[in-house]
Amino acid sequence: MERHFIGLSILMFFLSTLPGYAGAPLDTVQTNVNKVLDVARDPKLKGESAKRIKKEKLEAIYEQMFDGVELSMRTLGKNWIKINPAQQQEFIQLYRQILEKAYIDKILSYTNEKIVFSKENMLSNNQAEIQTNVITSSKEIPIFYKVILKDGIWKVYDVVVENVSLVQNYRSQFNSILAKNTPDQLLEILRKKVKG
Amino acid sequence: MRRSPRSPGSCSPYSSERTKERGIHILKRLSFLVFLLTFLAAGCAHRSSPVSPLPQLVKVVSNSEQIPLKSPEVSVTSGNESADRKENPGNGEEGEEEEIATITDPLESFNRAMFRFNDKLYFWVLKPVAQGYKKVVPEAPRVGVKNFFSNLKFPIRFVSSLLQADFSGAATEFGRFAVNTIWGVGGLLDPASSKQLNIPKNEADLGQTLGVYGLGQGFYIVWPILGPYSARDSIGIAGDYYLYPVSYITPWYDRLAVSAYEGVNDTSLRIGDYEFIKEAAIDPYVALRDAYSQYRQKKVEERRGQPVPPKPGGVR
Repeated sequence: MERHFIGLSILMFFLSTLPGYAGAPLDTVQTNVNKVLDVARDPKLKGESAKRIKKEKLEAIYEQMFDGVELSMRTLGKNWIKINPAQQQEFIQLYRQILEKAYIDKILSYTNEKIVFSKENMLSNNQAEIQTNVITSSKEIPIFYKVILKDGIWKVYDVVVENVSLVQNYRSQFNSILAKNTPDQLLEILRKKVKG
Repeated sequence: MRRSPRSPGSCSPYSSERTKERGIHILKRLSFLVFLLTFLAAGCAHRSSPVSPLPQLVKVVSNSEQIPLKSPEVSVTSGNESADRKENPGNGEEGEEEEIATITDPLESFNRAMFRFNDKLYFWVLKPVAQGYKKVVPEAPRVGVKNFFSNLKFPIRFVSSLLQADFSGAATEFGRFAVNTIWGVGGLLDPASSKQLNIPKNEADLGQTLGVYGLGQGFYIVWPILGPYSARDSIGIAGDYYLYPVSYITPWYDRLAVSAYEGVNDTSLRIGDYEFIKEAAIDPYVALRDAYSQYRQKKVEERRGQPVPPKPGGVR
């Protein structure tokens, strides 16, 4: 037992001395997810009037938790370099708004669900996959977060729900649109989606 | 209706027996009627049956739909788009994500039409029926019903595991079936998944088995009522059908009634999922196609013992 502990300590020591290693990726994700749940379940923030405050809080957490640029680059894939920097910037913003719009209500409805953080897989020395399970009264949904280390912080660049990668799912949609449309038209479609 | 009306006098005293029989007949006819009404709703019935081990999110897809696209440019996606998607993996820049499942879609215009049809089916029939049912029946019994049907699908998981030479998986499934049937009141409860026993469900089906054997997904096809499938999984579900006890219920309309009920029950537990996918998507048709393809692909990869790629690539 003690030997294990010593071994672990040594391991921890080495890990902590790795340059740029900012705490286990699992911890980072867990902290962020807990923050989200705290907002969703905050007893002081009930009713429609509090919804806006909740949304603002969630947006702030999103900024900390996700890497918007990485997410956008991976989502557009080969098309990323085909659009100009201004378009890239706008895309990043629109994509974030679309995701927020789609997911905020879903997240705010999470009240009784239990989230289990089961595993951390290192994909490389700066990428990891955090496996979680969302347990509801009638089902269990595996949700994996893929994180990348940037400037000492682990940030999410993909979410895989029931084996379906969010990034890839949107990429297939954007590719399909870009096969027939110009980047400007794509942006226009996204603008409409955000407004609509 | 085949009902032959009897004269009111025919209910003579000599046959309480007969009255009873008639009662049963009427009941049967009623169930037939109910079936007819729910037939269209059966979408999920089949879909969610043995047949589709799709996850909750994707399953909803059965009732898939497509938003009438606001911008005309988008709606004209064609076959060569899938070719385009295929090239994607070649683009190294984005690391590991690029090479996961894409599925060809030569039948796109047919599929989009079926997608619209299934969408309407969901919103006009299945959803209202499931919502009504949900109002009347509390969640616990509905989960029980879901467990019951899931337990009935044991042969599919068992045989598929065997065909994949996954003997421990087959044994696990056998154990689960025994435990849940005996101690779980015929499958209504799921004690095998309890903390004490913790025997995980070994989801396996024939489409997946074919995949494990090396058969690719083939093209994408959206069946009316049944929803999205690959060519391979369409063969799979045909086989699964024969391994599902419900398929052997006679007469056929009782079988359909049972399936329809199963579909309504399943839907009642996940109302909102499909709406959510639709809402989040830019092009729901493509979103569902991709989700289906990814999900099935990974189901096969898991089985082949290649836990989804921890590829060291992507170091940027």
